Amino acid sequence: MQWVEVTGRTVEEAKEAALDQLGVDEQDAEFEILEEPKSGLFGRLRSEARVRARVVPTAPRPKVERRERRRGSRERGGSRERRPSSGGGQRAETARKGQTTVTTDEPQVHVKPPTLAQEADVAKDFLQGLLDAFGLDGDVDSQELDEDTVEVSVHGSDLGLLIGPKGQTLTSVQELTRTVVQRKLGARSGRLLVDVADYRKARREALERFATGVAAKVRDAGVATALEPMSPADRKVVHDTVNAIDGVTTTSEGEEPNRRVVILPQS
Amino acid sequence: MSDVYDDSDAVDDANRAVGGVSKNVLTYLAKAIVEDAESVVVETEERRNAVTLRLHVGPSDMGRVIGRRGRVAQAIRSVVRAAGAKEGVDATVDIVD
Repeated sequence: MQWVEVTGRTVEEAKEAALDQLGVDEQDAEFEILEEPKSGLFGRLRSEARVRARVVPTAPRPKVERRERRRGSRERGGSRERRPSSGGGQRAETARKGQTTVTTDEPQVHVKPPTLAQEADVAKDFLQGLLDAFGLDGDVDSQELDEDTVEVSVHGSDLGLLIGPKGQTLTSVQELTRTVVQRKLGARSGRLLVDVADYRKARREALERFATGVAAKVRDAGVATALEPMSPADRKVVHDTVNAIDGVTTTSEGEEPNRRVVILPQS
Repeated sequence: MSDVYDDSDAVDDANRAVGGVSKNVLTYLAKAIVEDAESVVVETEERRNAVTLRLHVGPSDMGRVIGRRGRVAQAIRSVVRAAGAKEGVDATVDIVD
């Protein structure tokens, strides 16, 4: 199960950013507060709140129960098939001293999380149906980009309107696809990306080339370079690309939506 | 354009009307997201180059079509707007309770 770790000025902000990264609603995520924000003299921020979060592999509960989710609402709920949690290991590794833990209460009841292939199948059906509703012709297939990430891509002609200006419509299509997968399977385990007419692929490749170029300069000159602010998804591309290169490493700084990657020479 | 559809008569008919593509798309999206698909009703009001689509869903599904901070509703509006653009109309969605 994939965890994301995010920071923010407040715990709330960090949680919000985590939900955006996971692309799920709050009731479908579980959080751990790794660090409370500390303020220094004169209210200046000394360190940010750090929170980690993941999608809870649990079937969604009926809406009425959501208000009480802090208090064991997971034990109740529904006729869906469940099995007791088998893995306490994942949580054990996260227990660190002196931290407030806002995680969902024990004992946690899990359904078996769907596989990436199952998620991809639901997504493909949904997108094929969407093409039909639009009266567009196209093919939908999927590819696992890594063990946590599957990309479902639509190819065909005249698909530009599904991308929209700056990919805004594509972002909405992806959001709806994730929503539908979540509803149909009751949970999501990995990251699900949607691409149309290789829009994301082309952007990703351009971003990889760009990051590789900057990384080479940082390594040669030995001077850290901050990139423009980017979305979490784009930052991940940069982190992944740069960290595969010897002699450089990355970090992030700043607040959403101005959070940016810094490429550093590795000492 | 409309004679290329051969998969569904319903789709075929709806796409012939003004705002038909947007109505198809909205209906499809709503039914994919809600639990009670039978309660999904889309009414359209057409003006010259614009169509307003009123989406009705069952009371228990309101939250699902709106989503956290309105994100699902926002995504629906954006995709339906694209569908409207395909047929040259300005499509707006009202979610009615």
